[in-house]
Amino acid sequence: MKPATIIKEKNGKRYFFRFTLNQRLQHILMASCVITLVLTGMPLKFHQAFWAPYLYNLFGGIHTAPIVHKTAGTTLLLLFVYHLIYATVTIVTDQVLPLKRSGQLTPKNLAKTLLNLPIMPNIKDVKDILDLLKYLLFLSDKPPEGAQFTWKEKFDYWAPFWGIVIIGASGLIMWNKELVTRILPGEVINFALIAHSDEALLAMLFLFIWHFYNVHFSLSVFPMGTVFLTGYLSEEQMAEEHYQYYREIMQAAGLEDQMLLPDGSRPQPSAADEQQLGEITVSDLPEAAKILDN
Amino acid sequence: MLLKKILKSFGIWCIGLLLFTLFTASSTDAADIGNCLLCHKYPGLSRVDKDGNFRLLYVNEDIFHQSVHEKIQCQGCHTDIQKIPHDPAKKVDCFIQCHVVEPSSETKFSHKEVKSFLEASVHAKIDEFGNPKKFSEDMPICLDCHDNPLYRPLSFFKTVRPGISETATGRCRVCHKKDEFIYRFYNHITTRLHKIRNPRNVAEICARCHDNPELVQRHELGTRAGYSYGETFHGKAAYFLSERVPDCLDCHVNKGRSVHQMLSYKNPNSITHKNNKDLICANLDCHPKATPGMANYKVHPDFNLEQSPVQYYFTVFFLVLAGGTLLPVMGIMGLDLIRRLFPHAGLKRRK
Repeated sequence: MKPATIIKEKNGKRYFFRFTLNQRLQHILMASCVITLVLTGMPLKFHQAFWAPYLYNLFGGIHTAPIVHKTAGTTLLLLFVYHLIYATVTIVTDQVLPLKRSGQLTPKNLAKTLLNLPIMPNIKDVKDILDLLKYLLFLSDKPPEGAQFTWKEKFDYWAPFWGIVIIGASGLIMWNKELVTRILPGEVINFALIAHSDEALLAMLFLFIWHFYNVHFSLSVFPMGTVFLTGYLSEEQMAEEHYQYYREIMQAAGLEDQMLLPDGSRPQPSAADEQQLGEITVSDLPEAAKILDN
Repeated sequence: MLLKKILKSFGIWCIGLLLFTLFTASSTDAADIGNCLLCHKYPGLSRVDKDGNFRLLYVNEDIFHQSVHEKIQCQGCHTDIQKIPHDPAKKVDCFIQCHVVEPSSETKFSHKEVKSFLEASVHAKIDEFGNPKKFSEDMPICLDCHDNPLYRPLSFFKTVRPGISETATGRCRVCHKKDEFIYRFYNHITTRLHKIRNPRNVAEICARCHDNPELVQRHELGTRAGYSYGETFHGKAAYFLSERVPDCLDCHVNKGRSVHQMLSYKNPNSITHKNNKDLICANLDCHPKATPGMANYKVHPDFNLEQSPVQYYFTVFFLVLAGGTLLPVMGIMGLDLIRRLFPHAGLKRRK
């Protein structure tokens, strides 16, 4: 497959590559499943709420809505399995095989490589959270400089990861109760119901409040973020959210003198700078992409 | 001549009106031989009794004629009323012999048999030795569970649905000529092919006592049965008016028995006894592949610290997880909104 362009220019604006088409399709399918599961699950959890019967009837009521719920749940679990395979293949191809080819594939190196994956939580995330708190509490005017994936994005990735495991496993137990209680005691269904219901509520609130705020409703993205559709992030948002990574890309592309400030604003150029800016283009971007790929 | 014509047409109108009244009058009006509806048909008919309770004395004819007692005369149950206007009526005794003849034995019908069933059931006021039980006044009487049930006929033509099957009644008409008889008989039979109440209604009736905290405590029941049933999938489906899910009676009454013969879970003959419990779930119509292990599922969980500490802490874990996750992130969101309004207001910068 043709590698994605790291920086794209459209209508005089720069956009930075974030997600492949495969990843975006996975995300859209997952979001559709989650929304369906919430709409068909919450009326059962809050069955006495005034809205519950109306919402449930939209999905065919008590005889059809559970079938819709199970279909969406099964699709999400299959997607989860696909994602595990996808992630494993990607890691093996991009990280493990190069190690093997260079003769450096040892358990220690493998563990180090896995822990250094951009999506893995690390010490910088802790530092970024502390810096963010300082910034939010007006103790500093410098927001944290995010890496390729910020602590918020890692949270958004790993929380549903845990959620799918818990909700999926407990859902399967309740669905196949006759089979499960051949091996395990009946009380396990009680535990499964608590876990399924409470974890689903947490997941729903987390996604619809926290995730939606960060990607759609925050003042810098409102009314809707488009990266989940286009796969590209605007330069302003890139600078605001991922300044460290943004700097790496811009430096690799030889564009460090055109960088935005960490808050996404453009620095006030001097007269001499303006003269120089007029001569710089982004024609070397494929070269930058090559550097970053390596 | 004109007068004769007017009188003639008036006569025709009168006869027409009379015939219209005769043919359109509900045939079930026949049950009101005492003409009680003369007064009780008025929606506002009510009084405050000597205890200060407001009592509505209105009888909705249309509803009454859809009920299983449509053919019973008012005096059949209100036996103490001998004259009109009458004195305050006594409570109805459901065990009296009424005027209806039971067709299989051709004797006068009575609910008296139910009394003997009840006295041997978990809801009996007396124990096995005939002595009054502790708090026997809490035990239900007929009217605690029963109102005047309405017919709920079922149609079985190609599929099962509520209502009367004209396909079936068409066949009845081959031998039976009176539609009134056909419909009543059809209602009588098909209403009894399923329950007179849907699962939600059944659970609500049981919950009147079994969710009463004082009663639950007094009889050491250990759980609010109606509430806990409502927290299960069965209870929630019942709430959404599913007729397919089990209600209280499906699990607590032995197969082939009536609700009036319900036994205590301590009774070895009871379906809810620990040795028989697995038969409840494994019912052919429910979970035929269920093993005894499935019957250990707690249908009436009240996950408090005393009764179920493990489940209690399991629930607390998820509460803490939810609070521990959502509160900090919502705090950050709130601060983020404020900070974006004042991007250059950092204290350090001011210094």
